[in-house]
Amino acid sequence: MEIEFTETEFMICNAARLLEDNKTIFVGWGIPQVVAILAEKLYTPNIVQVFEFGAIGPQSRTPFLRGTMGGPSNTYRSLQWCSMNLAFSYAQVGYIDYGMLGAAQIDRYGNINSTMIGDDYSKPKVRFPGSGGGNEVASYCWKTIIVMAHEKRRFVERCDFITSPGHKLDGKSREEVGLPAESGPFRVITSKGMFGFDEGTKELKLIGVLKGLTVDEVLDDMGIEPLVAENVVELDPPTPQELKTLREEIDPYGLIISKGAKFKIEL
Amino acid sequence: MEECIEIIQRGEADIHFVHPDEFRKFVRDKKNRGLEDKLMDEKEAVKKYVKDGDYLAYDFSSLTRGPQSLIREIIRQRKKNLWILAKFTLLESVLLAGAGCVDKIDVGFLGFGPYIARKVQEGAVKVYDYSNGSVTYRLVAGAMGIPFMPARDLLGTDTMKYSGGIVVRDPFSKIPVALFPALNPDVSVIHVQEADIYGNARVYGPTVATLETAMASKRVIISAERIVETIEFREHPNWTTVPYYCVDAVVHAPFGAYPGGTQGYYEMDSEHYLKLTSIKTEEEMQKYLEEYIYGVDSHDEFLEKKVGVKRLRELIQNSQILEGYR
Repeated sequence: MEIEFTETEFMICNAARLLEDNKTIFVGWGIPQVVAILAEKLYTPNIVQVFEFGAIGPQSRTPFLRGTMGGPSNTYRSLQWCSMNLAFSYAQVGYIDYGMLGAAQIDRYGNINSTMIGDDYSKPKVRFPGSGGGNEVASYCWKTIIVMAHEKRRFVERCDFITSPGHKLDGKSREEVGLPAESGPFRVITSKGMFGFDEGTKELKLIGVLKGLTVDEVLDDMGIEPLVAENVVELDPPTPQELKTLREEIDPYGLIISKGAKFKIEL
Repeated sequence: MEECIEIIQRGEADIHFVHPDEFRKFVRDKKNRGLEDKLMDEKEAVKKYVKDGDYLAYDFSSLTRGPQSLIREIIRQRKKNLWILAKFTLLESVLLAGAGCVDKIDVGFLGFGPYIARKVQEGAVKVYDYSNGSVTYRLVAGAMGIPFMPARDLLGTDTMKYSGGIVVRDPFSKIPVALFPALNPDVSVIHVQEADIYGNARVYGPTVATLETAMASKRVIISAERIVETIEFREHPNWTTVPYYCVDAVVHAPFGAYPGGTQGYYEMDSEHYLKLTSIKTEEEMQKYLEEYIYGVDSHDEFLEKKVGVKRLRELIQNSQILEGYR
């Protein structure tokens, strides 16, 4: 049997499988929303989404409505509607287990850039929207999951601009700069593989590759050389059930899931 | 022995800072505690309370309950040299920059699309980077009448370096902690579902920073989908989001968040939103502003001539979820 899926579908499914039931997750706009809804439907029915503008525990309606994250469909049947400073305070005081973020660049220690490309802050080559709530997610959540397309230029030794903190910031540990202890990036999920962070050195470490790809193929597409785990696992492509749920229930118009290159795998 | 708090790092950004006593005096002398009718149209409200050079804040996003009719009026009156707070924003910052109203932006989230990115790349607007959380804490401090808010955001990052925050060693825990300076905007514009003529205002749904923004600002313009009797607030005092004495002007603005939606009233207009986010060039931007903002005299005329009853009807029809919004 041949299975066809997009990079985005693979990342979403892989991320959804990582979550634990009865935990809280700080969810950003777009892909993280779809991950949380998929996880809720298939794997972790009691996962509690938290939105930065002040929605706790929404049971987002499907089909997923892109854009109006603060509107009635995405914040449907929340447990609480509150303010942004309260939503972030829940995270700062330790209630939020997982956070999920995208990134334009990532470096060896999981620092991420969503602000600008270039070496002059006042005249960036490319300007992005900036932190949004990303910095708070990466600073406060116990475990942050970063989801990003696997492209060579996105993996760098030092981000052009560190928007949100990883495990080491220009040589200093999170604790040394005052960030909450025992928090930080947990996994990096890309369109080709999955990374963790070495327990000792806190460096990016390849721990899984998409079924059908070799470790070298994944490493070749990176601007840095990460650590490689002794046993790199094979990551399953999306299952028929995951794809059906994504394509028929959650995102039938393909607003999110149709993006990115297509993979074909013989099972 | 003289003890002082160790300053570990200072962010580089210029800040709009108001001394807490200056703000208190402003509140004492300029904020009206009388129950007075503050209902006026958007033209009068913006003329009275938004000045060139002001620091402007607004609440929520352009997709949901954003103060779009007031933003359009600010553009129509061609206000200049504004310094704005772009927190959790998408299009307000884009339009204000496109219309040349803005010089500086404190960034939580800059805004959406290629147009605003280019403005920053070209250096046409100056940005100071923060995050949504840290700019909101600045408003919280401004709303509390204290000079700063300590928090654990931005630590160790370049965002901190280019922000207006500083890092000190906390005298209690001895760990580094960020201090974010209070923000007291000159004026804020906020769209709500319900308000009375005195300015009591009620928001349904998540609030972002509605009350904090209103309390922190010297002048506050509220636009409301519906003007209700004051008894509505007295019957459900738990639901009063902003009390009247924070508010200087009340504008009745049905569809005030268009092209965004307002919970319980209407959904966003995705087509119009796409038209806005696809703007790339200066020419396209000026064409949009001419057609939809300069080319009409008021919000009413905008709705009548540029949107139309048929479309408005559809947006109401799309808004069928009422749970929590009544």
